[in-house]
Amino acid sequence: MSLLVLDDVEKRFGGLPAVDRVSFGVDEGEILALVGPNGAGKSTLLKAISGLQPPTAGRITFAGRQLAGLSAHSVRQRGVAMVLQTPRTFDSMTVRDNVVLGAMFGSTTGRIRESEANARAEEALEFIGLADRVDDEVGSLNLHEQRFLELARALAGKPRLVLLDEVMAGLNETELAASIDIVRMARDTLGVTVIWVEHVMTAVMSLAERIVVLDFGQVLADGAPADVMRSPDVVTAYLGDGAIPVE
Amino acid sequence: MKAAILDGIVLGLQYGLLGVGLTLVYGLGGVLNLAHGQLAVLGAIITALSFDAGLPIVPAIAVGLACAATAGLVLDLTLMRPVYRLRGEPRVLLGLLLMLGLAFIIDGFLVWRYPIQSLSIRIGGDPIPILGVRMRTGSLIASAVTIAAGASLVAFFRLTTAGRAVRSVIQDEEGARLCGINPARVRTFIFALSGFLACLVAVTRSMTAPVTVTNGIDFTTLALIVAVVGGLGSVSGAFLAGIVLGIVNTISSFYIGTYITTIMLLVAAALTIVIRPSGILGGRT
Ligand SMILES: Nc1ncnc2c1ncn2[C@@H]1O[C@H](COP(=O)(O)OP(=O)(O)OP(=O)(O)O)[C@@H](O)[C@H]1O
Ligand SMILES: [Mg+2]
Repeated sequence: MSLLVLDDVEKRFGGLPAVDRVSFGVDEGEILALVGPNGAGKSTLLKAISGLQPPTAGRITFAGRQLAGLSAHSVRQRGVAMVLQTPRTFDSMTVRDNVVLGAMFGSTTGRIRESEANARAEEALEFIGLADRVDDEVGSLNLHEQRFLELARALAGKPRLVLLDEVMAGLNETELAASIDIVRMARDTLGVTVIWVEHVMTAVMSLAERIVVLDFGQVLADGAPADVMRSPDVVTAYLGDGAIPVE
Repeated sequence: MKAAILDGIVLGLQYGLLGVGLTLVYGLGGVLNLAHGQLAVLGAIITALSFDAGLPIVPAIAVGLACAATAGLVLDLTLMRPVYRLRGEPRVLLGLLLMLGLAFIIDGFLVWRYPIQSLSIRIGGDPIPILGVRMRTGSLIASAVTIAAGASLVAFFRLTTAGRAVRSVIQDEEGARLCGINPARVRTFIFALSGFLACLVAVTRSMTAPVTVTNGIDFTTLALIVAVVGGLGSVSGAFLAGIVLGIVNTISSFYIGTYITTIMLLVAAALTIVIRPSGILGGRT
């Protein structure tokens, strides 16, 4: 059964569609890569699902309930957590405090006590491998660690679906491998479903189980990675953008 | 001189408490609450009326505080709703105009209905020496209440998850929403808290000097100056600015005269904008 179903989802900015009648479903436990040239509407689609920028038309059904029209905090509390392209952690707080906020307010199990939020935050930090940095200021983390912190903050609420926007851009090879591992582990051990926007094609090919290609806001291809990347439409779309960006 | 500085610190903590509500409301939503002082006076006058109606002073104060907090809460849920639906400059301008209008309405109503009402809480007892300065019981109690309130606020924002949630919305509203925090609810809570704090300042002030129905504009001006000097949106900045300005105030009135103090404070605020546009701490929260 599909955990998330997008049905003719559309987002227009002043008349121009950035996301143009997109429809597809995502199964529970799937790792889906959303790829496409710059400006294809990938980030816009994720923000539409997360409630940050509600869609102008269409339906978004998550676990059988409508998300379209809900604000971001309610979407989060229903089990959809998002990590944006640039880290949005709170600099004046410690690593722990950042994650506790996500555990407390992003909880999918209703209101929880402060002690429970702390426990969930510790657990998420343990999982992500930042347990020894709990008392550090966020400012002392590098980009990779900040992205992991944000992932921990997302996972601490016990979401069922995480939306990741280019969380592997600008990482070195070791960091990239670690990121791929952690996303796979989140699915395998926590059971979360992942929709993940990525330009780093080596990562996409090694982690994704399914690829959806967006171009000019529309779904250009949808299927198994090997098939999708061989499809002539996809090759043309990327060639227009300067060949497939393999890094 | 020593007395002037001590007085200045106590006064400064009151300023900080007055400015902190204004600075938080602005930091959370870009609304400059020009009726901040009017809420303080409203609460103070309600306290005085409750007292006159026969309530003992402490419950009367509680009624005033509760009314000021409720006024803040109701304002946020009604008048502020269309404001928060806007973004950017239109939001700032509409917020400014509505709150200015409200300030006039509260002022007008109080002057019309209760022209000679004022709150003046007299506490007897001999002056008590503190650090070699003889302080009156009234100002001692006022200082104690102010310090306790300030310390609770700082602890709330530093040590509790709810306090950190407020700070997170000030720092990055979108990031906060992604954590599951509802900014609208945070704003409502802070508007109510700011009404409560403003009234608390008016009440403590009335222990050393009467608070009259026309004092709203003075409180608003002070709060604005404190918020600007402390950096709009910064809690610790507001307290630091309050103390600095409190000392500037008492020293200038000690050496020059009371008539000069408001001008001195405005000069301090103007200088801050020129030298450190984001406040004395140069950051937010
Ligand atoms: N807030 C906005 N206002 C107006 N137009 C926008 C806004 N956000 C995005 N767009 C437009 O929508 C289109 C899709 O942008 P989006 O950021 O979703 O692309 P993307 O696929 O994520 O690209 P990239 O790979 O560069 O991140 C672009 O043409 C962009 O200019
Ligand atoms: Mg993008």
